[in-house]
Amino acid sequence: MTHFGSFLRETREALQASEGRSFSLRQVAARVGIEPAYLSKIERGEVPPPSEATIARLADVLRQDSDLLLGLAGKVSSELQDIILKRPQLFASLLRELKDAPEHAILNVVREVRDGQW
Amino acid sequence: MLTLEHDRLVVRFPEVHADAHCTIEFQRTLRIPDDNRVHGLPPGLGTFPLFHVDDYASKLPAHWAGHGGVFLPMYQAEAMWIRFSSRYPFAVKIATGKINAVSGEAWTPQLQSTAHLGANDRSGYMQSISSLQQTSTKGAQDYVTIPDQPWLDGFNVGNGQIRQFVAMPLGDGYTVEEQITGKAIHGGLQLIVYPLDPRYYTPPRAVTRGFLGGLSNGYPGDMMIASASYACSNSLSLNASAESAQMGLAPGGLMKQEVFADRHGISKWDQSHSAKCFVHLLNSQQFEQVTGRRPPTEAPTAANYTRAGLPWYDYYAENLRAVPGSEKLRKLDSVAALGNKKGAQPLPENAPVGAVNTIMLSKKAPNEVRDGFF
Repeated sequence: MTHFGSFLRETREALQASEGRSFSLRQVAARVGIEPAYLSKIERGEVPPPSEATIARLADVLRQDSDLLLGLAGKVSSELQDIILKRPQLFASLLRELKDAPEHAILNVVREVRDGQW
Repeated sequence: MLTLEHDRLVVRFPEVHADAHCTIEFQRTLRIPDDNRVHGLPPGLGTFPLFHVDDYASKLPAHWAGHGGVFLPMYQAEAMWIRFSSRYPFAVKIATGKINAVSGEAWTPQLQSTAHLGANDRSGYMQSISSLQQTSTKGAQDYVTIPDQPWLDGFNVGNGQIRQFVAMPLGDGYTVEEQITGKAIHGGLQLIVYPLDPRYYTPPRAVTRGFLGGLSNGYPGDMMIASASYACSNSLSLNASAESAQMGLAPGGLMKQEVFADRHGISKWDQSHSAKCFVHLLNSQQFEQVTGRRPPTEAPTAANYTRAGLPWYDYYAENLRAVPGSEKLRKLDSVAALGNKKGAQPLPENAPVGAVNTIMLSKKAPNEVRDGFF
């Protein structure tokens, strides 16, 4: 069982325990738009993680961050790839600089919504 | 700290608690008929795209840069609802044109509540809302609490009802700000968020870690719109001020929705930590000129949506009491009513809906269906 699959299963089962049948394998698969058997195989790690679009839908249904799920699947979103590829040297340098930084230091460089006078 | 991620405002207070984060998004939706009938909850058609004011400051009204914050595009007479997601409790004050959407009073950043509910008040808290005063006096609770309040669709007018948030050009006289103050100055929507004091936080039993992720590619509601035989007239009776890029929110049709009372008590909120934001509303007609992007397509009419057999919603949250409505907000004219007085037709259409297919949502999973893809 892959970490991606086991994480999906644990998350779905936790939601099923707290919120009921709407998080059954069948109902989650229906909302994501895939076959229940396929979702079952993904959860058991019998098939590779699905496409980026399917992972994004899984994240939405299971209330998870899509970047987190993509990371567990060993992927980087095409949106992030586009961002890096537009300014590769700048972002490569930034990521290397921050790779060992603690979370609070990284949050310091995240762009905040500026609040003004009103 | 407040960030903009995937068209959502994300509020985090890592210095307060590791779980102290929430997301706030603005959902596109149907405008319910403004006919004094009480309607159910319309669907979410996907989030409005959000942008930093700073990124387009030179093309936006000059004073927006002074406010900071973000902006989103809205068509005249388009409706919206605000969706809140978190597991950590937050208190959120919401104003439109700097008039509080819960109390109808002028904006103040601090939370206000005359009475709050401690452990000894449970019996009072459980009483039916039908036995409560239906309109507030000055000093009543003027904020919503999340996650108890999964969404807010409009202005708190009492009797378990709101009047839907409907965008109108600032200057035409329809917005709540203009009806209450007589002036068209601020427009937009204002928010301030406070976390619960972490000493009173008990993590929920079910571990579903992380905040909401989501889809941000395109405008999801557009898929549904294509199937709902969308038709909307653009023949509005506009006056010169419709050229204005600035929009405000006006009271639209009546909807069944309660603003839930604070079950924590006002003293439990950590008012030493806050995040606030001015959300500007840019007329969709100017949006492409400012951003170079197409605005989302217009939402289907409520009548067409219903005719297509698509669902409306109802929400039931047991053990949650509603705060009284605002007398000031209740007395305001809805867009259609004020249009009649002016001899104008501010709404492109206002057809009644027939029998609706209603899906009941529960407190356990409020967001599961309402913002779905159709």
